[in-house]
Amino acid sequence: MDKEKWRSYWKTLTSSNLGLIGIGILITFFFIAIFAPLIAPYDPSERIAPPLMKPNGSFLLGTNDVGQDIFSELIYGTRVSLLIGIIAALISIVIGCLVGVVSGYFGGKIDSLLMRFVDLILVIPFLPLMILMAAFVGPSFWNIILVISIISWASPARVIRSQVLTLKTKGFVEAAKSIGTNISTILRVHILPGVIPIALAQFVMAASHSILIEASLSFLGLGDPFTKSWGTTLYYAQARGAFLTDSWIWWILPPGLLITALVVGFALTGFSMEEILNPRLRKGRS
Amino acid sequence: MYKFKFLYSKMIQYVLVIFLILTLNFLLPRLMPGSPLAYLAGEDVGLMTSEEKQKILDKHGLNDSITTQYIDYLSNIFTGDFGFSYQQKVPISDLIEDRLPWTLLLTGLNLVISTILGVIFGAMAAWKRGTKTDINLLTGFMFLSAMPSFWIGMILVSLFASKLGWFPVFGAETAWADYQGMERLLDIGHHMILPLITLILISVTTTFMTMRYSMLNVLGEDYIQMAKAKGVKEKTIKYKHAMRNALLPVATVFMLSLGFMLGGATVIETVFAYPGIGRLMFEAVVSRDYPLIQATFLIITFSVIIANFIADILYPLLDPKVGKENG
Repeated sequence: MDKEKWRSYWKTLTSSNLGLIGIGILITFFFIAIFAPLIAPYDPSERIAPPLMKPNGSFLLGTNDVGQDIFSELIYGTRVSLLIGIIAALISIVIGCLVGVVSGYFGGKIDSLLMRFVDLILVIPFLPLMILMAAFVGPSFWNIILVISIISWASPARVIRSQVLTLKTKGFVEAAKSIGTNISTILRVHILPGVIPIALAQFVMAASHSILIEASLSFLGLGDPFTKSWGTTLYYAQARGAFLTDSWIWWILPPGLLITALVVGFALTGFSMEEILNPRLRKGRS
Repeated sequence: MYKFKFLYSKMIQYVLVIFLILTLNFLLPRLMPGSPLAYLAGEDVGLMTSEEKQKILDKHGLNDSITTQYIDYLSNIFTGDFGFSYQQKVPISDLIEDRLPWTLLLTGLNLVISTILGVIFGAMAAWKRGTKTDINLLTGFMFLSAMPSFWIGMILVSLFASKLGWFPVFGAETAWADYQGMERLLDIGHHMILPLITLILISVTTTFMTMRYSMLNVLGEDYIQMAKAKGVKEKTIKYKHAMRNALLPVATVFMLSLGFMLGGATVIETVFAYPGIGRLMFEAVVSRDYPLIQATFLIITFSVIIANFIADILYPLLDPKVGKENG
């Protein structure tokens, strides 16, 4: 797609306050994730102090039940939560695009078959289904991603299909078809540029959902115990009864706030991206 | 006639979903690497001689052809036999019978209360669109839906149950207290308040958003402008004209969100150690009790599908347009 268009997208995105806040939050978290070893004072897997210490000068958020520094655990947890969210969202959007484009462009039997299947998946309550599958495949970083993305592609597929349907009726696609342009060229030159912005917005939304789902699965003990995400930290806090003492203030409160902030960051970015792509929404809000 | 055709195609869809779920459930333990015995019977295969292994395989019908196994599996489920929980040493159907009422009570109350609250706040936000009230409500609900549901529960427990001691920390009623009648009812209510509030907080957003959007659409309609122009009282317009017509999409969300709520109940019941189906699923996950995980999954999914089907039957009665469009 031409650079001009992207520049105008970026301008609209950053001109709204909400979009700016969202992007700001995301950049902060990316920064924390990348520089985790520099920011975190200790190795989160190392037992460096007596267990269940209160916050103090050297341990900002105290220590957990086995004497690991909670603050460092959360800093490193940013990597896990962010990565799982992004990779799971990426996979579901790629599958969603594939299904959506095939379904929308070719129509007919393939379309009704694929959409039937999408409907089937959407009826099943997703969390119990993910718990079932996660229990069978076992807790690991990649298995969590697999379980989330194998189900989350269905609703983006629907959105992308309807975008392809709109594009298909546009004059230039009809024209390209009538002069005998081959399918791969039509898809690459005419369909994909129209799909990618929508797919990007869907990706950002999917990432925020995936982060919440990952947190829930990890909280139920289905997360990777060796690469602790924020949800895993909360699982241990719950299992060790942190809510019974004052330690909830530094053991339960911070990871939840981090999850909320990250999800809000993605959601705000996603909302304003959707507004850019759908000018009708801009008028709809006053 | 149209209505009948619409229901018929919906019914086929649900039969397909049930078939898909049952098949997935059947295949999962058999497709996993390693012996299905570990998943289906909870037996430690490593310590057995091959003779012992064969005996147990025979006992569980795992030496039969895959078709026979599948037919047996289906007929068991349709007669309500979900097998045996090898961790809790009881038939799974007994466990489900014990736990399901608690979940239904919790989700049922949540469904009603969160819908009412969502409708009220949604209508309020739309009526005052663009004002501070509207923006505050929108931001509030956005933050709420960005919070992990179980974390909201954990904070409520820490604060109101553990720190302030206003509510019990876990369970659905006081164990061994042997309360009767009214006393028991109050005890149950007392235990339910925090989990219920948590569920309401996470469920109300969907209804709020739907109601707000739908109400905004209705408020833009000609007949509302007409009523305003005629000088109809504001209250009458709001409640009689706008809200009533805006309720229709909420009715769809009402039933469809049941799936979300039952899913949410899994984590919330875990936080509060509330003895429902969701907590049962968690217990099964923790002890790797595979038959029990599968059974709880089936029960939750079936409840959702039944609710969806009821919604489909009721919806054309509410909106005469629907049956015809799809027929």
